[in-house]
Amino acid sequence: MKNRGATVLAILVAALLILPLVVHDTFVLRVLTEGVMWIGLAIAFDVIAGYTGYLNFGHGAFFGIGAYTIGILMMQANLPFWAALPLGGVAAAVVALIAGIPTLRLKGAYFAIATWALSRAIQQLALNVEFTGGPDGMRLDAFLNPQFFYYLMLITVGGTFAILWYLLERAPFGLKLKAIREDEEGAKALGLNPTKLKMQSFILSALPTGILGGIYAYWITFIDPSSTLGDLVSDQAVVMVVFGGMGTLFGPALGAILIFAFKTLFWAYLSDFQLLYLIILGALIAISVIFIPNGLWGTMFKRKADAARPQHQTEPASEPAALSAVAAPEEGN
Amino acid sequence: MAEPILKVNSVTKCFGGLTAVDDVSFNVAKGEIVGLIGPNGAGKTTLFNVISGYYAPTKGNVIFEGNDISGKPPYHLAGVGIGRTFQVVKPFAGLTVLENVTIASFLKHPKKADAVRHAWQVLETTGLADRANVSAAGLTLAGRKRLEISKALALEPSFLLLDEVVAGLNPTEADRTVELIMKLKAQGLTILIVEHIMRVIMNISDRLVVLNFGKKIAEGTPSEVSSDPHVVQAYFGEEAA
Ligand SMILES: Nc1ncnc2c1ncn2[C@@H]1O[C@H](COP(=O)(O)OP(=O)(O)OP(=O)(O)O)[C@@H](O)[C@H]1O
Ligand SMILES: [Mg+2]
Repeated sequence: MKNRGATVLAILVAALLILPLVVHDTFVLRVLTEGVMWIGLAIAFDVIAGYTGYLNFGHGAFFGIGAYTIGILMMQANLPFWAALPLGGVAAAVVALIAGIPTLRLKGAYFAIATWALSRAIQQLALNVEFTGGPDGMRLDAFLNPQFFYYLMLITVGGTFAILWYLLERAPFGLKLKAIREDEEGAKALGLNPTKLKMQSFILSALPTGILGGIYAYWITFIDPSSTLGDLVSDQAVVMVVFGGMGTLFGPALGAILIFAFKTLFWAYLSDFQLLYLIILGALIAISVIFIPNGLWGTMFKRKADAARPQHQTEPASEPAALSAVAAPEEGN
Repeated sequence: MAEPILKVNSVTKCFGGLTAVDDVSFNVAKGEIVGLIGPNGAGKTTLFNVISGYYAPTKGNVIFEGNDISGKPPYHLAGVGIGRTFQVVKPFAGLTVLENVTIASFLKHPKKADAVRHAWQVLETTGLADRANVSAAGLTLAGRKRLEISKALALEPSFLLLDEVVAGLNPTEADRTVELIMKLKAQGLTILIVEHIMRVIMNISDRLVVLNFGKKIAEGTPSEVSSDPHVVQAYFGEEAA
């Protein structure tokens, strides 16, 4: 199973690498580039959402901040793309650090609401200040080379995947994040500092997202508050991850591919029904949560642990205390 | 008495108007098993939470191995050698038993492979090795209590706080846990244990500290304490005294 998985992965990577040599259609290449970008956005989102258990409804803000940072640095500070790009990631990471201090204290729905509100505030800010171009957005110098952007996206997302795979699935860090997700108070007793781990996770989620935003800006050559800082980036990341399987890397990647393929087909053939697309997206979240809580990936590759879960066993009766005067302890206090 | 590893000095913990722990002082010597007993709501778990860093004491302090640890966060105290279990068990339900214990092993074994190896050893000692790959949510109550002990032990602590790890088990399971506790004592671990089951607490404790309504009402060997009129009164009520 493990070897077969590695083989499939190797074939997939090889196919992605040689694709532009075979496919010359610009539209197809463009769709593939964006598909790869969504894989990156989904896995980065899952670091904080799936592994750490903090559903960030403002993920799109990191993407937009990366995009605007590159736009502003290239167009107003005349920085070359390669100098600006890492700074897009750094800007997103710094915002994660600042936003994380108040929001990562919140739990569950409160964190989701707070991050959503913050991302709306950032969008409003971009609409109302001058150096972003306000609602008119910002145009970047065009560099029209579809192959270049395809490979840049592929390498960035592939590199992100590899680093996240190492940190989350191989190194202790991933298990520590899951401990925070499962029981923050209990994790403290085991020597884990939840504040520090959550912050590291949030930054690790923001950094590649900012870089992807930067590549997107240079690639599309035009950014505005609704395309890069709107709800759609966050919403789609949520759907991709929940549908694909939270707390894994392959799940969100699979979710990203399927949802993005669906979106592309939908917009190609049913572009008059944009509202319907959002309705379907919303329905898909609800259906995934109810019927496949582990997502597609989690359901397809059901964990050994669950398969081995024992049948319901009756709780042992509590032992009668030797001194009957001592009340039998209740579970809980 | 050997040198104390833990000193609880006049610790008071209030929740709003309620004084859950009221000016409690006692010492625990190295290698000792001290039982902390008292009726429901006496403040035993609250005192555990103060010692393990979950609450800062309202008054007083806690000295561990010569250092004032009052108000230090739990993750820091785990690092200096204090391991604890939770009365209301806290398994990482979505993870396997092995993963649960591996997370605790990271404290002393930062490399994952070492931590996993160490976790296996702990599971062998606590008798959970055959459940290693089961989801923690799938354990019985006895299993979950054992997992609590396993996680605390994986920290390789010098001082262990056990909060009702025997309560709720059937007699066979209870005996196994008692056996394990005695084995840990033999290895030199110092243990402070809360337990309602008298047969157990009287047998394993070197000394007992008795709380009632947050106050310490007695301290001494099990036989001294069980004949203390204050204790009898606390447990049996006015008429018996
Ligand atoms: N976080 C809290 N906030 C407010 N009151 C609390 C809190 N924790 C405990 N208490 C109260 O403090 C008192 C002592 O509770 P504690 O849990 O320490 O008792 P206990 O001796 O462990 O009892 P049991 O044997 O039932 O476990 C109780 O009255 C309880 O309701
Ligand atoms: Mg208690």
